[in-house]
Amino acid sequence: MQSLSSADFAPIPNSQEVHGISRPSLSYWQDAWIRLKANKRALMSLYIVIFLLLFTIVGPWIWRVSPAAQDLDQVSQPPGSPRVALIVDDYTPWFGEGNPLETGLRTFGDPTTQVVRLQWNALPGAAGHRIYRNLFPLGPERAYGIPIGEFFDNNTLFFEDRLDLKPQNYYYSVVALGQFGELLDSYELIEVDVKRVTTIAEALEQELVSHTSNFQIGDAIDMAWHPLGTDYLGRDMLARLMAGARVSLFIGIGAPFLFVLFGVMYGSIAGFLGGKIDQVMMRFADFVVALPFLLFMILFKIAFGVGPGESGVLPMLVALVILMWPATARLVRGQILLIREQGYISASQLLGAKTPYLILRHMIPNTLGVVLVTLTFAIPSAIFTEAFLSFIGMGVVPPTPSWGSMSNEGIKTMLTTPHELIFPAVIISITVLAFNLLGDGLRDALDARMRNQE
Amino acid sequence: MTKPILIANDKGFAQSAVKQLGLYAVCTIMGLAVLMYLLSLAAGNTGGGSGISGINVDDNSITITLGQEPPQLDSGRATDAASSSVLAHAMEGLITYDQNNQLVPGVAERWEIREDGATFWIRDDAFWNDSRPVTAHDFVFAWERVVDPITASEYAFILYPIKNAEKINQGELPKETLGVHALSDQILEVEFEQPTPYFDKLVAFFTYYPIREDFFGSTNGRYGADADMLLYNGPYMVTEWVHGSSMLWEKNPYYWSEEKGFLDKIIVSYITTDVNTKINLFKDGQIADTSLVAPMLPQAMEQRWQIDRVMDGTVFFLEFNHREERITSNLNFRKAMSLAQDPNELVYKVLKEAAYLPAQSLFPVWVQGVSEQFRKEYPPREHKIDVLKAREYLELARQELGLDEFPPIVFLTGDTPISLLASEYYQQLYLENLGLEIRIDAQIFKQRLAKMTSGEFDVVMAGWAPDYFDALTFGDLFASWNLNNRGRYSNEEMDKMIRIAQSELDPLIRMDAMGAIQSIIEEDVVLIPMYERGVSFVVDPRLKGLIRRIVGADVDYNYAYIDVSED
Repeated sequence: MQSLSSADFAPIPNSQEVHGISRPSLSYWQDAWIRLKANKRALMSLYIVIFLLLFTIVGPWIWRVSPAAQDLDQVSQPPGSPRVALIVDDYTPWFGEGNPLETGLRTFGDPTTQVVRLQWNALPGAAGHRIYRNLFPLGPERAYGIPIGEFFDNNTLFFEDRLDLKPQNYYYSVVALGQFGELLDSYELIEVDVKRVTTIAEALEQELVSHTSNFQIGDAIDMAWHPLGTDYLGRDMLARLMAGARVSLFIGIGAPFLFVLFGVMYGSIAGFLGGKIDQVMMRFADFVVALPFLLFMILFKIAFGVGPGESGVLPMLVALVILMWPATARLVRGQILLIREQGYISASQLLGAKTPYLILRHMIPNTLGVVLVTLTFAIPSAIFTEAFLSFIGMGVVPPTPSWGSMSNEGIKTMLTTPHELIFPAVIISITVLAFNLLGDGLRDALDARMRNQE
Repeated sequence: MTKPILIANDKGFAQSAVKQLGLYAVCTIMGLAVLMYLLSLAAGNTGGGSGISGINVDDNSITITLGQEPPQLDSGRATDAASSSVLAHAMEGLITYDQNNQLVPGVAERWEIREDGATFWIRDDAFWNDSRPVTAHDFVFAWERVVDPITASEYAFILYPIKNAEKINQGELPKETLGVHALSDQILEVEFEQPTPYFDKLVAFFTYYPIREDFFGSTNGRYGADADMLLYNGPYMVTEWVHGSSMLWEKNPYYWSEEKGFLDKIIVSYITTDVNTKINLFKDGQIADTSLVAPMLPQAMEQRWQIDRVMDGTVFFLEFNHREERITSNLNFRKAMSLAQDPNELVYKVLKEAAYLPAQSLFPVWVQGVSEQFRKEYPPREHKIDVLKAREYLELARQELGLDEFPPIVFLTGDTPISLLASEYYQQLYLENLGLEIRIDAQIFKQRLAKMTSGEFDVVMAGWAPDYFDALTFGDLFASWNLNNRGRYSNEEMDKMIRIAQSELDPLIRMDAMGAIQSIIEEDVVLIPMYERGVSFVVDPRLKGLIRRIVGADVDYNYAYIDVSED
């Protein structure tokens, strides 16, 4: 057993540090920010949203290519395709002159993406000829490929192919036609390797070169660079995505912000005042819910005097704001009704809190979670609505692109040139996901009830 | 003491939860599989009996698609391609076309066309599908009905070469005064308003098909509205018509010719304009033939299909609005717009359709002149894009119109992918080359037609499909009295030439007038030719004798038969 000495009973000396405050005092927003920063997903989404805004606003200043300019030499090019081209003369019509001593199906001049010139000798027994172009060698089933031209007389023994030529190998066939244009058995086949070319006029127009004197025919130059490829009219995908972002984000962010703001005001007034006023206001909200969106969209378009070929983006915004607010209003009203009856509100009131304080300190922070969730769900749905309306011709009009209309164009050629669909679709998905995750994180961060729980 | 039990319970709980979930998953998957199987059974039962195949050798039948459902099958009131397609199989006129697009006897076994009229001798083995003979009276009744203003037929004008037809149609004369008479059951006598050398080509058109009076009376105004509301005299008859979804055509046992109607059944099981759907159906062997569009051609080549092509006869052009209040009524403005574009670029680089031809004139390549192709006898002026010259003309136009700046040009167009693509191309082209702002007004067909008629456009992307096999079907388009002249172009010289082309018997003078019409159109830039439409298509190799036509049924199965000998 241990024995106690008198020193053990001496008083403890006085200390200045009575209660150590372990953490600095934090405001509501500082605390929210700290908690948001701790949420990696939300933070990443925030960066994506900031990047998207920069992409939309600053992007066009850096990538100064018109989203409407058509580069018809590079139609539907996927990103990273080779773009070295030889310079050739302007196209001049050709009427079959060439060396008459040569026989068989043959090319005249160099086969280029500008033109492939074919000549042949009349096939035995033919009353006419049809010319086919194929991507594959001829098999036993005698599928010659696409018929690109035909002549119902025996005098025309030449053909110029200018149809959508790509720098690749083609198999051309000429097949004999009978008296009534039916296919006969005799044919000739040739394999042609087509080279990419461009003309001086086009190079100047595309601003690939500044002066005609700097280069001459036969030189190789680089065609215009399209980092994300081009669409079906040779328009730059990157420039179009940037331009499309303006419309999509304007509708996607603008409309939800406006109608959520209105919904919050409407709902909190109804909820806070309660009673008869609440009843009347909420029945009016029910009435608005019942209004058909598409019909109103059309009515607004007419009321705004939007003529054919004019943009319907502004009426779309108005229609979205006018018809979409009741959902938010209902949610907020429900929350307010709930909070109004809470004990801490009564306590606050007993301690002398005025209405503005109650609303600012208790009501809004406690409903913010719900509001932000509504908002983050409203943004993707507004982006989709814009896409849908642009598709049915009520939204943007050509040449203005939007992500939705670009996807709709891209889906037509999904199998052959998938990049036209993939880029707008991916960017829509990323945007929607980023807003959803950010909203999720914000809700956690802003929820007053979750404060100091970590 | 309590804690270990809890943990054990937790383990047990987790195990049973996994078990339960697993059971749910298995049940769901099996349930879905059973449901799928039942659904596919049900689908098989509704799809025309024993599953659908494009060519059914045992039944001697084929399955095909129609682009659109015919609104009704009344030959007197039909206007659209779908009706024309069905009618070409179910009915037959006095004269018809053979496999090589040559005129051959139809219901009439021979005929004679004079300066003042025509006589048709009707064969005695032509029957309706209720076994009664087709007589001259059926034609008299049908034609009188078409011009009768009460019928309000949109194609009444095609009968105007017949004496008094126009006056009757305008309500000035009773319909009995129409210059057509049945001299007997077999002889049909026609009087002309003016010499009409191309009348034989006209009577092949569906508006000239016969209708039997007593049957018409028995339908109570529902003639042509349903499969049993129509009497058939063609190689096939419509025996089932489920509106909005399918049709069944069966061989008409009373049809006279042995050269047509080899198939027992033609099943129209899909009514769709979606080419992608059609191509997939064809790939699966569910339909006998399909058209192809440019983006699908690489796939078709990979499948090693034998692709065929045909010009469908239609010419597309940018038609200007010539009404005085429009900017497009200014000749220099039109010249500028014409010079700033190149149809070759449109067809070869933008539309990329293998069967399309860049258009050079209103008259397409296949139109016949005096002895050979019209375009060889009267070559159209060569067009070359010249942007600098176009800008000069535009400046001239600006001064003439007294404008500081041109207002946006309203560009009326259809809602098909091709027309949207072309209008987007033109929009940028004119902005770049001439600094003109183009507003695209894309409308569905009916709405576009309404706007064309009321003149709510500056430029309209229009097409003209031939009604009969003669240059005049294009030549009279811009007559000041022609209601299809939607831009209201009016030129006395043009009208004079059209009158000559309509009534002159000497083919040389007549074609000279056509040539003059072509030059006036070029001189006055009445329109900008865009392209001549063609179709790339594939047919199941076992089906022979299918014909794609310029005039009449787009796809003609009348001569088609199944041949499996080669495979």
